[in-house]
Amino acid sequence: MEIPKILSGEMMDKILAKKDFPEWLKKLEAYRVYAPRKQDDVWNYEPVSGPGNVQLADVMTAVPAKKIVFPQREYFFEFRETDDNGTKLTELLPEDNPVVVFGVRPCEGKAVTLTDKVFSGEFEDPYYWKRRNATTLVGLACGTPPSPNCFCTSVNGSPHSKEGLDLLLTDLGETFYAEALTKKGEKLILEGQKLFKDPKPEDKKKAEKIQVEAEKKIRRKLNRIENVPLKLKGMFDSPFWDDESMSCIRCGICTYLCPTCHCFDMNDEVETTTPLQGKRVRTWDTCQFPDFTMHSSGHNPRPEKSSRLRQRINHKFQYFVEIWQNYQCTGCGRCISLCPVGIDIIKVVEKVRDYGS
Amino acid sequence: MGHNVYLPKLARIIEIKEEVSGARPIKTFRTNFLDGDGFLYRCGQCAMLSVFGRGEVMISISSSPLVKDYLQFSVLKMGRVTSALHDMEVGDVLGIRGPYGNSFPLDEWKGKNIIFAGGGIGLAPLWGLVHMTLGNKKDYGDLTLIYGSRTSKDIVFKEELEELKKRMPVHLSIDVPEPGWSEFVGFVAQNVMDKKLSPHNAIAITCGPPIMIKTVIKALKDLKFEDEQIYTTVENKMKCGIGKCGRCNIGRHYVCKDGPVYSWAELKKLPQEY
Repeated sequence: MEIPKILSGEMMDKILAKKDFPEWLKKLEAYRVYAPRKQDDVWNYEPVSGPGNVQLADVMTAVPAKKIVFPQREYFFEFRETDDNGTKLTELLPEDNPVVVFGVRPCEGKAVTLTDKVFSGEFEDPYYWKRRNATTLVGLACGTPPSPNCFCTSVNGSPHSKEGLDLLLTDLGETFYAEALTKKGEKLILEGQKLFKDPKPEDKKKAEKIQVEAEKKIRRKLNRIENVPLKLKGMFDSPFWDDESMSCIRCGICTYLCPTCHCFDMNDEVETTTPLQGKRVRTWDTCQFPDFTMHSSGHNPRPEKSSRLRQRINHKFQYFVEIWQNYQCTGCGRCISLCPVGIDIIKVVEKVRDYGS
Repeated sequence: MGHNVYLPKLARIIEIKEEVSGARPIKTFRTNFLDGDGFLYRCGQCAMLSVFGRGEVMISISSSPLVKDYLQFSVLKMGRVTSALHDMEVGDVLGIRGPYGNSFPLDEWKGKNIIFAGGGIGLAPLWGLVHMTLGNKKDYGDLTLIYGSRTSKDIVFKEELEELKKRMPVHLSIDVPEPGWSEFVGFVAQNVMDKKLSPHNAIAITCGPPIMIKTVIKALKDLKFEDEQIYTTVENKMKCGIGKCGRCNIGRHYVCKDGPVYSWAELKKLPQEY
């Protein structure tokens, strides 16, 4: 493959006319393309069937983009009983086929940088990284907050954050301001190279103005939380958690639909018993379910929903901070908007902040 | 990208010993890897055992690293996977991932008296350690084992314990009196108090059910052991074994990766949620 003209590592800013966007998509034949699509009033990242079907707008999907790199279900390997009382294992790694996701919210890009940390290290997760490396995330800077519960600016994010993204598009009206942020992003622009023009200085200014104004439009704030990690440490045994979790119906939505939550379960699915054949499968799991931590003896370190809400908040605003120096929350507001009983993480953390003062 | 961390290695069961029968059966399994490879591990580490079709379970390695001929696991039949393990026979193939977790700081313990306090299946994680220290006896001071089970029928490693009595003090206990029982009757914590163990130049390691660990630590504190002299191995429900699936955490620690071995000085600083 030819990588001409543009040197990797250099910032590559371009302009793409919106009318040329379908043409660009046509050039991306090698990729499996995902974009937000509305079905039954719910937005979700879905495979794109044709170039005309993509409309990029300020929407918040129900399920975050994490599902592309960390799907709700995936197979690890197949096991099969052999004739000699043995077992044969066949690794089922994801395919290498490149994927591109359009319309990724900057808070979701930032969230991917957090799951990256979890799935790295001494025990690198091959399934996550195979998908992650094959995926190009094309962010769309938020012009207006896609959710009334957006609060990215309170957790070190912004509606135009570039973290975790490969390419950031900013909607300038008739055109997109396109910033390639990684080699994968550059490559995507190069696929439709002729469609992209060099930006004029006023284009950049316009993009920056839109981005600055977008920040001002965010209504919800979670201020002064620097001391929350320490505060939480002292509140472990507080009755506060009983009060806050009273209304929880332990549905797990807050965690399943969180772009940063990564907890999972592993189980064997049996297809035939003689000979034994089946697959080991990973599925999303949640700390909000009582059997998540229950020992087979029946002993449960987190038996009450209060201890499980405490775990969710502590993980996001204390433990993760201690391990990775980052809140495990990027302020997308899904857990607030989608909680069936109105538990509001902003209010919970504010109460923690103000507790006892 | 290197080795797939979720793919178990295949091993064959070469020997099964029925330690305890009845309602809470315990079996000891000895295994060999099919590829003939060894398995480098340290005392205190665990491994994830796969019974294909049933799932995985984290089990402590009950053989000492000094043993090269097999890898040993002693398993209480309790949940889905351990029940399936108990149904397995010699010659059957299981999967093993690991070893996982930290280990006992044996180098730091050189020259010290070592007390092992186990309850029920909690002797299994200590068993490799007992044999490791016994095998390197000159490196340590006095070795003492305190072990309790519900009844005399629930004692694991029964014959080995009798053999062990010839080489080091072994104090057994059962929870309620039985005809013919000449040793201590009561809980492990009570036996620890009864034996008036000296904290002088000593390290005490305890493992057993959560309530036993908590009471033994209290007993050791009453005997004036410092927090730094008390160790335990913690267990929690686990799935991945490598600090990612999120369920075995105590505060910021994942027991599978950062544990299972903790000094009380370390563990008391964490949320008491285990």
